Amino acid sequence: MASLEVEIAGIRLKNPVMPASGAYEYSEERKSFFSPGELGAIINKTIFLEKRIGNPPPRIVETPCGMLNAIGIPTGGIEDFIETQLPKMESFGVPIIASVAGNSIEDFLEVSERVAETGKVSFIELNLSCPNLSEGIEWARDRKQLFSVIERVKASVDIPIIAKLSPMVSDVAEMAAVSEDAGADAVALINTYKGMVIDIEEKKPLLGNLTGGLSGPAIHPLAVYAVFSSYRKIKIPIIGIGGIASWSNAVEMILAGATAVGIGMYNFVNPMVMKEVIEGISNYLDDNGFNSVKEIVGLAHRLG
Amino acid sequence: MKVFYEKAKVISLKRIGDSYLEIVLENRNIARWGRPANFVLIKGWENYDPLLARPFDIVQADGETGRFMLVIKVTGRGTRLLAKLEDKSEVSVIGPLGKAIEDFSISRIGLLVRGVGAAAVVLLAEKARERGIEVYTFLSASTGSRLVCRELLEKYSTEIEIATDDGTIGYHGDARERVSAYLDEPGFDRLYTCGSRRFARFVKDMDKQGRIEGYLFLETYMACGMGDCHGCAVGKATGEGYYLVCKDGPVFRSSDVVID
Repeated sequence: MASLEVEIAGIRLKNPVMPASGAYEYSEERKSFFSPGELGAIINKTIFLEKRIGNPPPRIVETPCGMLNAIGIPTGGIEDFIETQLPKMESFGVPIIASVAGNSIEDFLEVSERVAETGKVSFIELNLSCPNLSEGIEWARDRKQLFSVIERVKASVDIPIIAKLSPMVSDVAEMAAVSEDAGADAVALINTYKGMVIDIEEKKPLLGNLTGGLSGPAIHPLAVYAVFSSYRKIKIPIIGIGGIASWSNAVEMILAGATAVGIGMYNFVNPMVMKEVIEGISNYLDDNGFNSVKEIVGLAHRLG
Repeated sequence: MKVFYEKAKVISLKRIGDSYLEIVLENRNIARWGRPANFVLIKGWENYDPLLARPFDIVQADGETGRFMLVIKVTGRGTRLLAKLEDKSEVSVIGPLGKAIEDFSISRIGLLVRGVGAAAVVLLAEKARERGIEVYTFLSASTGSRLVCRELLEKYSTEIEIATDDGTIGYHGDARERVSAYLDEPGFDRLYTCGSRRFARFVKDMDKQGRIEGYLFLETYMACGMGDCHGCAVGKATGEGYYLVCKDGPVFRSSDVVID
């Protein structure tokens, strides 16, 4: 059987499959399906320094082959993360990625430092691209800001940094390159696309937040292209995220250049999807005569 | 609580009136573990459009036959696809979901329901009666052909009052007027409601006045059904954030939540 092990910034993941931030809770309900300990890594819903309550409903709406969400990141803040969430996540014995965000560079620094100080987290993922916060996406849109926040967090913590980027830019590969130059150890591509649904009866935007982030199979080819184009510009690993609903979607991402993949909204539809993706990648490698998943990372570039 | 993600076989599909559908499905785990207020997510199609499974209350659950029943209002793309299911075809089911009603240390309950909201309380009526609790049901609809789960509720209720807006069946008028006649005598330990915002506001008012303990079965769009997506938010009455209908509910004390 082929090896599924991959490495990001010197940290070994036993397989390349993890949840995307914000789409998977480490709950008893979820443990009914499989243990999060079977995943390559686990990640929390983004935390800020302070507790947040999230956006007013309606928060979600289905769209063709996708959904818009305008949740607004309701999370408990740094104290809750350290006291409640982290012990739960630690119990699964796999590398932990702490997804963090802030309203200023100082916030990003403080929350990152506090997370790193616990000594229990393998990576920090900077959520620079939430489309549902008024300033959320701007971090990943402005080269100077992007460079600055990554550079400063990198200088102040001693664990690897992942930059989660937005596709809502003219060229996401450019922003991936900026992230690499600023010292990011990996990039996570992509966050959701900002979109809107109008309620034609009420004649106004349907979501409480007016706009939401589009996810699901509808955005998968866009995400594959973001990974493919970034792979050509950067040397640091890419975590490919966006519309993965099956093992073949995940294999596409890896062939495009992703070292690992994150699965988000499809966990809502198929609670077994991440486990099925791990098994499917393994079968694909065996069927195609590969010894390791590392052999196929970026393989689609040979002819491109 | 253990949640199952399995296939369920379609045993029968019956159209009720012009817009409702009664579906009997076979899945031992849902039938065995489904409790009052639990719901399931059903997807009866393979492709990505529509993408999300649809949430429905468990109306009947029989652990011995392994069968459970849903009553669905055919209203959108997902429910129209479910209406086309054929016998012996399979759907995927996730459940049981939601916080079940487990506390039956009461002697008399009232159920005030309208339209397809009636489907939410049938299992509660059945289980309450099994425990010797008196069940007073106030079943309402715009017109007679839109009365949902009438036979089942007649079977499980100690007393049932039917009200239609047009008077085709039962009391001609608002079911709230009928409930009011019972509030003091015999009175209810709890009054549950589902299917109407007006009813929800009424129950909230009566609760506020201290005349009953009011409970709301809330229904909303949701994606995951188990607290991951945070899509099904309902405002806390304290103003400090939101509950999730799927995980904190679907039944809430009326004084705990904000109703528009």
